[in-house]
Amino acid sequence: MAPTVIDARNLEFLLYEQFGVESLTEHAPFTDHSRETFDLALATAHKLGREVLWPPFREMDQEPPVLIDGRVRVHPSIRALLRECGQGGWINADVPVAHGGLQIPRTVMTAFRAILAAANYSTSVFPALTAGAAHLLASFGAEELGALYLPKMYAGEWQGTMALTEPQAGSSLSDIRTRATPTTEGHYLIHGQKIFISAARHDQAENGVNLLLARIDGAPAGVKGISLFVVPDRRPTDSGLVDNDVTCTSVYHKVGYRGAPITQLSLGDAGDCRGWLVGQPHSGLRYMFQMMNEARIEVGLGATAIASAAYHAALDYARHRPQGRPITSKDPAQAQVPIIEHADVKRMLLFQRAVVEGSLSLVLQCTHYSDLAQTLQGDARERCELLLDLLTPAAKSYPAEQAILAVSQGLQCLGGYGYCADFALEQYYRDVRIHTIHEGTTGIQALDLLGRKVVRDGGKAMFLFLDEVGTSISEARGVAGLGAHAAQLQAALDRLTAVTQHLTGLALEGKIDLFLADATLYLEVFGTVAVAWQWLRQAMTAERGLERDPSEADARFYRSKLSAFRFFFAYELPKVEGPAARLLDSDGLTLKTEEELFA
Amino acid sequence: MKILVALKRVADPANHNKVKIPAAGDKIDTAGLEWQINPFDLYALETALRLTEDGKAPKTRLGEVVAVTLGPAETETNLRSALATGADRAIRVDTTDDALDGRLVAAALQKLVEEEKPDLVLMGKQVVDGENNYVGQALAELLDWPMATFAATIKEEAGGLLVGREVDGGVSTLRVKFPAVVTVDLRIVAPDSVRSSKTAEGFKYPYEEVRFAPLPAIMQAKKKPLAVKKLADLVGGATLSSKYVKFEAPPARKAGVKVKDVQELVQKLATEAKAI
Ligand SMILES: Cc1cc2nc3c(=O)[nH]c(=O)nc-3n(C[C@H](O)[C@H](O)[C@H](O)COP(=O)(O)OP(=O)(O)OC[C@H]3O[C@@H](n4cnc5c(N)ncnc54)[C@H](O)[C@@H]3O)c2cc1C
Ligand SMILES: Cc1cc2nc3c(=O)[nH]c(=O)nc-3n(C[C@H](O)[C@H](O)[C@H](O)COP(=O)(O)OP(=O)(O)OC[C@H]3O[C@@H](n4cnc5c(N)ncnc54)[C@H](O)[C@@H]3O)c2cc1C
Repeated sequence: MAPTVIDARNLEFLLYEQFGVESLTEHAPFTDHSRETFDLALATAHKLGREVLWPPFREMDQEPPVLIDGRVRVHPSIRALLRECGQGGWINADVPVAHGGLQIPRTVMTAFRAILAAANYSTSVFPALTAGAAHLLASFGAEELGALYLPKMYAGEWQGTMALTEPQAGSSLSDIRTRATPTTEGHYLIHGQKIFISAARHDQAENGVNLLLARIDGAPAGVKGISLFVVPDRRPTDSGLVDNDVTCTSVYHKVGYRGAPITQLSLGDAGDCRGWLVGQPHSGLRYMFQMMNEARIEVGLGATAIASAAYHAALDYARHRPQGRPITSKDPAQAQVPIIEHADVKRMLLFQRAVVEGSLSLVLQCTHYSDLAQTLQGDARERCELLLDLLTPAAKSYPAEQAILAVSQGLQCLGGYGYCADFALEQYYRDVRIHTIHEGTTGIQALDLLGRKVVRDGGKAMFLFLDEVGTSISEARGVAGLGAHAAQLQAALDRLTAVTQHLTGLALEGKIDLFLADATLYLEVFGTVAVAWQWLRQAMTAERGLERDPSEADARFYRSKLSAFRFFFAYELPKVEGPAARLLDSDGLTLKTEEELFA
Repeated sequence: MKILVALKRVADPANHNKVKIPAAGDKIDTAGLEWQINPFDLYALETALRLTEDGKAPKTRLGEVVAVTLGPAETETNLRSALATGADRAIRVDTTDDALDGRLVAAALQKLVEEEKPDLVLMGKQVVDGENNYVGQALAELLDWPMATFAATIKEEAGGLLVGREVDGGVSTLRVKFPAVVTVDLRIVAPDSVRSSKTAEGFKYPYEEVRFAPLPAIMQAKKKPLAVKKLADLVGGATLSSKYVKFEAPPARKAGVKVKDVQELVQKLATEAKAI
């Protein structure tokens, strides 16, 4: 039987009690939905997780995809998931009705995806990739172009992919070289190489639809010369699907997350790879960033989901493994106690919860801003959009970085067995490692946060963030038992403000290299403060729950929520001090370390 | 074809370690348990949907499926989920679990069947809580309808069904004429276990569980009709005919012992376990 991989009660807590997603249904465009729809959606996700995603979880790791006769052989359960997601309407569930979707709030769909990702992250990315690619095409492509591809993608029959990366253009997408040569027949001829392309050319979908970045011949250099194309593996014609000269030349061997292949693609080897322009020429990177911002939040979610599954596995082990005796009574005649009774093991388990539930809350805060923006107009809408934009790098990177540590602690709870394939922890440990890399490395997220989002428009988004957190702090001051925590968060927020002022001061002095040298540390401080804010919000929600005369089970849930909250404030929030002190110093140590000093 | 499917909610079997029996032993404490539809009843629902469609075009409904449950207001969640999965209408008979026994359930269903006049009544072969294996048979008796229990395969024929039943010695095949009562077993949800008259011979469903509810159907489920009836209006003054005397938890498992050789094992199996 499938084990618990995610806490269903916690998802309900966040969705309904904390973010109040039910109230979204009072406003266009969400009025067709209701709590009942949301509950049934989540129930479907739990069932898919148990029945389709979990069973082959280990097998997909042990027998990773292979390239056979030009197609990548992936696990057959992927077809089952794509079919269920297609027939169930889950691929286009959060797409606006105008684009053929059902406009379920993104926050609910994010919870849906969290459940799938916790059951088996590798399988869960296939429909998510199709959804991302289809959304891009629906948003920016001409209607006739969309009509050719979208129905098949929404039905889960054709796999969508994102083809950006090239050997010389990973973090630096402005260096993309793949060429697109116009023809008189409306399409372009594509020539080039792509690497690391997820889920391309696999054998459990009828066709692949690659949303690809390339440079039209004669286009300006850099980011302003990149265009977006639809490049199918097989192109639809009047006489059916015709091979489109997209060749998979290899599949990479990865550390983990092995059920989902990343491929090397060669385009136009035979001079007949056709691509169709999406939207305007030279606007490709801008379009791609819409999708990428959504994908970044999903990466944060994926990291959280894996850490959640690892936590539940570690918890189960800790409850059942007798080892050692209480530090105060070492009588060998006494039976050994379950390791969950040792303070150090409790610390490891609490750390995992602090990361998982804090990260999940931050991710859902982002999607909730996105949903709220849809229901609002004018300044109120802009406020939500700016906050979403600012928080996105943190919602990607805090979970991605911290989940690695959390799963490591989960593995540690199992002692020697944590390191062996008898338990799932070693796989979670390998699987979770990806998230600091794809969709932009942590280093790139940090540059995006500090170099762009914090300083843009005179720091407008940052002021809104300080205001949001400040509002929560004021509220918490009025809640019995939370006053000290409110003060602690205020102090951390002041520290973040001081660091931000110091760094932007460097930028104003023109010392751009110094300003950004430790951007990753800045992201760490910012992310920790943002998650502390989410924990304070959760604590307030739990306290409100306790006041409502809850059932015994609910009361236990709220108390356990508050204990993880107190852990975060006691053990995690103080960690901002080290990097904050470092950021205020700015002696340029890394900049000054010449290359030859790396002995 | 019109099919009535009876569904009972049961405590999630995965909750087994949360089940508590108060010291008095007079009942089971259900606080904190999570509820779901009895798995065999879900298989009955899947069977009903397969019998009212062409397997290759399941979105077009070719019959009517009415989902029925007896229970408190919370069980409407289970009915909504059946509606989202594909049932057309639902009926809840308002009562509480401890006010029911198999006979009352069968009697209430009899009245509903007389009102609804379905061609077929489907339900699970038993519920996974009480495991009485009673209501289907009792209902058929009250209605004086033909019945087939433990169905593992069902093929629709003119005016009736050909039912493959799982029995100890293998499979026994029965031909029942409509109207009939059929209770289903686990294997009924295998890819080719159920064939309606519209589904092509040789067709296989691409899954072997209960189908997933699609989002558009989930959104429509709240608009589908759900009628509520009073138990007393169906069974009059009839009361419980069986009573639970006492509940006891099964004895905790004892620690195992190590045997030194096969001989000792055989001896223990014979004398202590009396297994051979
Ligand atoms: C499992 C997996 C799935 C992927 N899926 C896809 C996909 O579907 N489609 C797709 O197009 N791509 C995909 N990628 C590619 C992924 O987006 C890139 O690997 C990622 O953007 C990093 O690029 P790179 O590998 O070239 O690393 P590099 O850019 O070479 O980076 C190496 C290191 O240098 C640092 N660095 C680079 N530039 C800077 C800078 N300017 N300032 C500071 N530090 C810098 C980085 O932070 C990193 O630590 C996938 C990769 C993986 C591993
Ligand atoms: C690769 C590898 C090589 C090994 N090689 C050898 C070898 O050559 N010879 C050999 O004899 N053994 C070997 N071992 C065993 C290794 O020493 C043990 O795995 C290790 O000591 C931990 O014991 P355990 O696995 O039983 O974990 P456990 O003792 O069950 O520990 C599980 C968790 O509980 C915690 N815990 C346990 N007791 C307490 C306590 N009293 N207070 C607080 N926390 C506690 C632990 O810190 C750990 O996090 C090897 C193990 C591995 C993985």
